[in-house]
Amino acid sequence: MEVEAYRRLFPLPYYERHLAESVRPTPASRPIPDTTVAVAPSPPPTGPPSSKVGDTTMLAAIKLEVMTPGAESPDQGSLGIEFHMPPICSPLVRPGRPAEVAPVISKQISDVVMSSGVIDLKELSLINGKAAWMAYLDIYCLNADGSLFDAALLSAIAAFSNLQIPLVSVNEDGRVIAVSGKLQEESKLELVNKEKRKLSLRSTPFSLTCMLHKNYIFADPTAEEESIMDTVVTVVIDSLGRLVSVYKAGGSVLVYNSALQECIILAKKRAEELQKILADALSPQMDLDSD
Amino acid sequence: MATSSTTTYSPSQSLEKRQQQQQRRRLFREIDWKRSDGREFHQCRPAFLRTGAASAAAGSAYVEFGTTKVIVSVFGPRESKKAMMYSDIGRLNCNVSYTTFSAPIRGQGSDHKEYSLLLHKALEGAIILETFPKTTVDVFALILESGGSDLPAIISCASLALADAGIMMYDLVSAVSVSCFGANLVIDPMAEEEACQDGSLMITCMPTRHEITQLTLTGEWSTAKINENIDNYTVTLSLLLYYR
Repeated sequence: MEVEAYRRLFPLPYYERHLAESVRPTPASRPIPDTTVAVAPSPPPTGPPSSKVGDTTMLAAIKLEVMTPGAESPDQGSLGIEFHMPPICSPLVRPGRPAEVAPVISKQISDVVMSSGVIDLKELSLINGKAAWMAYLDIYCLNADGSLFDAALLSAIAAFSNLQIPLVSVNEDGRVIAVSGKLQEESKLELVNKEKRKLSLRSTPFSLTCMLHKNYIFADPTAEEESIMDTVVTVVIDSLGRLVSVYKAGGSVLVYNSALQECIILAKKRAEELQKILADALSPQMDLDSD
Repeated sequence: MATSSTTTYSPSQSLEKRQQQQQRRRLFREIDWKRSDGREFHQCRPAFLRTGAASAAAGSAYVEFGTTKVIVSVFGPRESKKAMMYSDIGRLNCNVSYTTFSAPIRGQGSDHKEYSLLLHKALEGAIILETFPKTTVDVFALILESGGSDLPAIISCASLALADAGIMMYDLVSAVSVSCFGANLVIDPMAEEEACQDGSLMITCMPTRHEITQLTLTGEWSTAKINENIDNYTVTLSLLLYYR
């Protein structure tokens, strides 16, 4: 039987025979696929950066809107994070029938962003008790090839790193209005936020998803691997090496402590790599700013 | 997470913006004016086209017309839905949706029914449906950024994606739109121009066969002007040159 036919008909034995030889049957036998992050210098308030992990591609953008902060937190802004899987991303998603995993990933991302404390919501405040920014982060999956959460989180962090807050002022009606470059000189309006034009991110979270099968661990599974084997562990680690979250939702493989620890070590290594990739992607931006 | 009770607004919806819009509207009434990106009236925006943007799809393409950015994935031919009747010829299924950040003001990012239908009609005639009986080809478009002339960009992009997927077609389909302002005709309008136009015309054609697959006219037009425009579709030919 031809190899390709065998792969399609008997995917699990095909994988197991590779694993017995300690080889990963993905196109190239590389441990972790190439990762790239691109940050687009598009005009504020949008800054759509995209991130690519292997073939999984994400596009994230932030829109800033103004809101009245709630009574319990008058000096805080707010975040709204949504993850979308449009039908273009995968043959499994059809229009009108949203993918089940999309809301799950939305929730996971917003939990990680909120709990890791990467963003200080106080930085999104404009006028204490009157106005604050509501940051809508929308992440679109353009191509789904496994490990969606990792790529989505990376793009979310890239989007926050690149967020540029526009200059605003308050008009007579008490509404906040944007002040563009030209108007800035003419208007006698007082600017509300001369500082605070960029968010200062604290310890950024990075994640790695590992797939478990029998006693093997594979990092960063592809869509094909995810369809064949079902147990995944997602570990989120921040840039200081602290554990933010470990997620293992059941599955047929039960994990020993040692395997979980192995996943955490892998995630730590990955977090260091991602930090470097992200810093490289953002550095040309910083050069522009200093000019 | 956001509480749904809070209402938010975009700070750019200011009075100045509205005044600018009115000024522009007055400007467009005049015979001679400059387009804000410095183009001639009969000049298209720079275009960027690439095929094979997404690996999960059978074929895909990414197109940029100025600031308009569109990505299209084609899936199939694959099994038609169970509920569908038997069919000797293939089916084409189109869907167009916008991202929430495609427009300057954050939207809901929903499906666009009208564009889905128009895309279907524009492509239907160009695809040799007999080559994939009983099955469906899905064409899904996502507008990443909307900067005017969205539909022509979607149609051109979709035809490239179909070609990338190896779907048999009579010819590639290219599209362009023209806006009418009083006495002037403006090709490949931007969003701000589309907002103030008197009428618009969109033409989709198969350039090597000199066949028009779709022609839509909206707004005020005189017969003479329509005829002039149909001749203008040679301009779309030049668009096709980018593909090759």
